[in-house]
Amino acid sequence: MGNILTILRKELLDTFRDRRTLIVMIVIPLLLFPIMLNVATRISARQQKKAEIKILNLGLISRDNAPTFKDIVRDHKDIRIIEDIQEDRIPDLIQNGRLDFVLVFEPDFDVKIAQKQAARVHFFYKSSRETDISKKRIINLLSSFEDQLVSERFLALKLDKSITDAFQIQNHDVASIKQKIGEVIGGFLPYIFVIFCFTGAMYPAIDLGAGEKERGTIETLLTSPANRFHIVMGKFIVILLAGITSAVVSVLGLYFSIRLSKDIPPELMDSLLKIIDYQSIALVFSLLIPLCIFFAGLLLSISIFAHSFKEAQSMMTPLNILVIFPVFVGLFPGIELNTTTAMIPVLNVSLATKEIISGTIEFKLLLLVYLSLFVIAAISLFFCVKWFQREQVIFRSN
Amino acid sequence: MIVVEKVSKKFQLSRKQKREMRSRTNQNAIWAVSGVSFTCQPGRIFSLLGPNGAGKTTALRMIATMLIPTEGSISVCGYHTVNNSREVRRKIGFLTGNTGLYARLTPEELVKYYARLNRMDTTVFEKRKSELFDLLDIHDFANRRIGKLSSGMKQKVSIARTMIHDPEVVVFDEPTVGLDVITSRSIIQLIKNCKEQGKTVILSTHIMGEVSLLSDDLAIIHNGRLLYNNSFENFKLRLSASTVEDEFIRIIEEAPGNTRTASGPNKED
Repeated sequence: MGNILTILRKELLDTFRDRRTLIVMIVIPLLLFPIMLNVATRISARQQKKAEIKILNLGLISRDNAPTFKDIVRDHKDIRIIEDIQEDRIPDLIQNGRLDFVLVFEPDFDVKIAQKQAARVHFFYKSSRETDISKKRIINLLSSFEDQLVSERFLALKLDKSITDAFQIQNHDVASIKQKIGEVIGGFLPYIFVIFCFTGAMYPAIDLGAGEKERGTIETLLTSPANRFHIVMGKFIVILLAGITSAVVSVLGLYFSIRLSKDIPPELMDSLLKIIDYQSIALVFSLLIPLCIFFAGLLLSISIFAHSFKEAQSMMTPLNILVIFPVFVGLFPGIELNTTTAMIPVLNVSLATKEIISGTIEFKLLLLVYLSLFVIAAISLFFCVKWFQREQVIFRSN
Repeated sequence: MIVVEKVSKKFQLSRKQKREMRSRTNQNAIWAVSGVSFTCQPGRIFSLLGPNGAGKTTALRMIATMLIPTEGSISVCGYHTVNNSREVRRKIGFLTGNTGLYARLTPEELVKYYARLNRMDTTVFEKRKSELFDLLDIHDFANRRIGKLSSGMKQKVSIARTMIHDPEVVVFDEPTVGLDVITSRSIIQLIKNCKEQGKTVILSTHIMGEVSLLSDDLAIIHNGRLLYNNSFENFKLRLSASTVEDEFIRIIEEAPGNTRTASGPNKED
């Protein structure tokens, strides 16, 4: 035990002095989400505002139809009507940005309206995320024009417009706020901590395994009185702590980015803070520990096998995708925590987190998740220890 | 004292190695060391001489408990390297020319780390560290990160790390390879000091100058087999008009067919 502690202490000191590891383990997880969230919300808000206040060039071919519509549009100073356009040039004018939208009223529009028939208006636009906001402004104008025409028809028939409403649907969602928000947050949370748990453990694992081989320090360590079990356990615990630290820091980063965000309405913020109670947090982190043990064992085994830092890195990078895939599957509709999914590592963490945050976790299934995770963690650790004792692995030659 | 008795070491070949060797052989394994026996006495320097790939490093790694012999046995200071490996490691100091150091630690932290692994008493450690740091002139850079030291300074730290627990047996595996003349000289001086202190010294090298300068006993190894094992005085008697290097080459060239197979250490293909 003394030797494990000695190795652990030295490896921790060595790891915390490695700038690259610190950046991957602490700085990126802590700052990535606040920065991403902040930048994304600012860009989105700016684009929305830009689209809302933009003066739109609306091409209009009315052929003397719908004078009322023209009056409605003229009341809006942020919409400029351009009437002198050729119909066959409409697509070009929109594509090259001279016009934002074009409305073409069919020649018999007013006749059909007078005959209480459905008249037709052609709406030309170039679809994009940016034009969607502006498009709504034109659609709102058309809707209010249509409302006006429909009201006139009802008035002529001496009918109340509400006659078209045969019944109204009154929605009563029995899902609590905790369940509704919990499902979203609980689905997103594993994405963060699984990725960061893996990447945070990755660099220390490479450094303490392949890095040690590459530097030639492994020989001197192997000739010290510490036996191989002590050496591998000392290294393993450091990698485990790095993974846990990274995952915890990433969640803290997310928490602070939500707390510091000015764009989240206060009611939503209150709800968010209410649903994340200490019990849920404790349960989620209790899932994280066996998961980190599994990752640490896996990563250290690969690192010990690799000849060099570079080889270990190229072996581990594709694993990122393999690790994130089960989390991604956990977000598919219809995939729920049951006795089968509870036994699939990583996927079970993703699904269990969702249910823990929503407050709907079943104790029996949670036990199955723990069982599955601890079994795979034990296998991973056992394999790692055995692997480190193999001469062919430690002194693997090119 | 080191006693090596009929030791052999077989390595399984990887798929890649098999592919590379297919043109020459169909074997699945290779004998890196075959039936080697020798004894290293305290207060004497035992030189293990051989060309690259002769099996020197494998033999030393078995002595230092890093590798387990496939056949035969080794004892260091009376402890069996397989059954009492931890005791053996307590008695050993291991230094190679390409030994790496932890770049982010300071020399002070590094020697303390190895002292702790050797369960050294704090007072004994402080005294020993002070002696070594005085001897090697390390004090000035004792608290600087090793990564920022010159190669000469690093080698001094390596020596301090090897000797901190005052080992009875010191294993030098090509200790001067790639080092400049001044640093090499400090290593050679260390080897001489170890001998004077009555330690058992085993030196693996292919540098003839070092052999002539340091050896009390000499073994020549080639293709995993011991071709010569006697005192260096007796070896010199064989030289007549030739040099140590000429005699070494003659012994290597006159060695019987030495291709080894996986079927056994002493069998030919």
